[in-house]
Amino acid sequence: MAGACPCHSIFLIAERYETLVIQKKNPIDLLFSVITAGASFMVILLVIGIFAILLKESSLSIGKFGFIKFIVTNEWNPVTELFGAAASIYGTMVTTAIALIIAIPIAIGIAVFVTEIATDFLKGPIGAAIELLAAIPSIIYGMWGLFTVAPIMTKYIEPALQKSLGLVPLIGMLFQGTPMGIDLLTASVILSIMIIPFTASISRDAFNLTPAVVKESAYAVGATQWEVVRDVVLPYSKMGVFGGIVLSLGRALGETMAVAFVLGNNHQITSSLFSAAATITVTLANEFTEADKDIYLSSLFHLALVLFMMSFIVLAAAKFLLFKAERKINR
Amino acid sequence: MAEIVDIEAKGLNFYYSGNVHAIKDVNIAAYKKKVTALIGPSGCGKTTLLRCYNRMHDLYPKNRYEGEVIFEGRNILSKDVDIISLRSRIGMVFQKPTPFPMSVFDNIAYGLRLKGIKSRGELSERVEKALRNAAIWDEVFGKLNVSAYELSGGQQQRLCIARALAVEPEIILFDEPTSALDPISTGKIEELIVELKKNVTIIIVTHNMQQAARISDWTGFMMLGELIEFDKTEKIFTAPTEKLTEDYITGRFG
Amino acid sequence: MNIERRRKAENIIALFLSSLAAFSGISWLVFILGDVLIHGIGALKLSLFISDPVPPGVEGGGLRNAFAGQMLITLFATLIGVPFGVLGGTFLAEYARGTRVAAVVSILSDIMVSVPSIVIGTFIYAVLVKPLGHFSGWAGATALAVIMIPVVLRTTEDMLSLVPWTLREAAFALGAPYYKVIIQVVYRAAATGIFTGILLAVARVAGETAPLLFTSFNNAYFSLNMNGPISSLTATIFQYAMGPYDDWHAQAWAASFVITATVLLITIVGRILISWRLK
Repeated sequence: MAGACPCHSIFLIAERYETLVIQKKNPIDLLFSVITAGASFMVILLVIGIFAILLKESSLSIGKFGFIKFIVTNEWNPVTELFGAAASIYGTMVTTAIALIIAIPIAIGIAVFVTEIATDFLKGPIGAAIELLAAIPSIIYGMWGLFTVAPIMTKYIEPALQKSLGLVPLIGMLFQGTPMGIDLLTASVILSIMIIPFTASISRDAFNLTPAVVKESAYAVGATQWEVVRDVVLPYSKMGVFGGIVLSLGRALGETMAVAFVLGNNHQITSSLFSAAATITVTLANEFTEADKDIYLSSLFHLALVLFMMSFIVLAAAKFLLFKAERKINR
Repeated sequence: MAEIVDIEAKGLNFYYSGNVHAIKDVNIAAYKKKVTALIGPSGCGKTTLLRCYNRMHDLYPKNRYEGEVIFEGRNILSKDVDIISLRSRIGMVFQKPTPFPMSVFDNIAYGLRLKGIKSRGELSERVEKALRNAAIWDEVFGKLNVSAYELSGGQQQRLCIARALAVEPEIILFDEPTSALDPISTGKIEELIVELKKNVTIIIVTHNMQQAARISDWTGFMMLGELIEFDKTEKIFTAPTEKLTEDYITGRFG
Repeated sequence: MNIERRRKAENIIALFLSSLAAFSGISWLVFILGDVLIHGIGALKLSLFISDPVPPGVEGGGLRNAFAGQMLITLFATLIGVPFGVLGGTFLAEYARGTRVAAVVSILSDIMVSVPSIVIGTFIYAVLVKPLGHFSGWAGATALAVIMIPVVLRTTEDMLSLVPWTLREAAFALGAPYYKVIIQVVYRAAATGIFTGILLAVARVAGETAPLLFTSFNNAYFSLNMNGPISSLTATIFQYAMGPYDDWHAQAWAASFVITATVLLITIVGRILISWRLK
């Protein structure tokens, strides 16, 4: 009655292995297991293959500019054939950071609403809306950004920011220049709208792992709904939520089409969010098919390699956190 | 000594999600500073009844009460009752230990902090008192800052009792508090419950009849949502009036 | 008493903010979909589907080439990606269940699912475009297949794991070898789930743009030749939206409408199937 005993599942696993050992003696089974194994090893092959090919293709650039020096050099000049990724990496980091700053509170708010506040009547439609937002192709976000959001930013939001926050010392630096709508801020806003549903649905899943009875016992000492969320649900699911945020970070890093329309592909590092910029993905999307010289193409591969490594590390970290979160709950 | 009624259900009916009739016209009193046990086969509604006393059912939609539960002269089922403060006066301990994801100290201090107590001195004092009253102080006084998950199952359950005690409720509801524990931990919890009734009223749901016989003063026997019989514990276990009660006590079913 | 009032006020503010966040989430959806609908419907004509593009400035024209190309690329991507995904997932959930190899492949697949799709585009460019010297529909389909494989593999693994072990034991007890148990019993039990996984994977790649930009590239003419550059809706939207002509913008909106409607429809069908199965 008091929950499954862990030894039970160990028994099950042992039994399974025994069956498997017997079954493998059948020749067709051997064949089928080899075929399926081959299909699944395809994934390992792809990961290693992508890394190896990108490394090979970028060897020219790595040889000429150096792997690390390429990353920190702010120079992107196809005419003089001098390449450094600093501006693209800066753009990637700034858009990702701002997108997360906007998205995280809203996404967590949505998750709280869906798990703790909404009546069953609202839970369905709002949950479905979140899932649908996550399914809309990113190019739609990009186009919507270009034709609808950018004009709104130029006309209303950016001038308003400039008149208010722009006058504050230090922070004001971020809001200088003529608002054009095609800039870091617009790209970040669209990116954030794109990752909100993603972050929200992972946070919701993490919240749902909090056992009802632990929540009840907080209610039983007289906590309000918000106090239960703040003191029980959030601490209980913080690993899962954090893992979800890191996963969203990985998403934002690698997003191309949502930002390609509204960033302007300008290889400069500026302090103002009102200036056009470039990210790794936008540079690749705009210049890959135009690269006419070997060193140019190799530098673009080098950029892709940097992006692949960044996202791989971030995603592996997210996996690790989510794994730890699940293990903690199951204990 | 005269018995004083502390909380009393009058003509109580309860429906899950609109129409599942789980409690049927139950009339039962719990006396001040006594232990009242609710027994009966699984699914008989004893836990459902218990959860009416602190309106736990309000957490889920479409649940409906009818009738009254009178506490200090007021019907606590009425709409204008402040559930938050009601729950801080009627504590609850659950089937499985439910420590919050915080340190031992913060677990106990949680309810106190909700009540606005901030001074470290007063908090420490009341945390210690609660832990002593829950007979767990000797085991944890050196580990107040470790996570509550580090404690054993039995210790976690006594921690939860201490957490309920800390806010000094008048009534504590126990929902099969020992069903997930080993016999030694169970013994400790039972001793503790007997000790606690010096100060608080206790209502306990248990599927273990010996437990009810050992620790309670009054016992209610329930079946299929109805209260079949309610009387002094000795009476129920030695000379029940109802045939159904006798069958259950003697193990003829359930 | 004062403190209680403060706590309750705090509660109401927090709940209000959270509800606000939820409704803003919904309003974004309405905003985006409404925008795509309003702009898209206007340009939605029969000619869009049955005529090819005309030079800018000339009246009429459509995107027949892009519709055909998109379908061709997605179809071949599915044909390449699904067998790898389903078989790979079978290995993880059946023959390698509970082993370390299965755990490693599973984690790598999860990572692959989120690897930037443009990186996969550059990879396929290096493998299939650069050596052959030209863009091709095959390269585009392969790029999408690479994105599909880990998605299908993970859902297949999950869906097969949901099939109770006792069901397999019942089949073993009748003397069936494992491969027959898998094909005749386990696949059948998990069919809806696997099919849903495939649907959702198709929906996901059908909206992909970045990996097509330098694999299948684009083609202003109608072509069904998978060995040469081939047009796709998404690449065309990118080109048209960034271009200077109003006609192009209108057609880009129309194409966006078609692709959004298709992707959402597939997604909704998939979700309904899943909730129906889990009931």
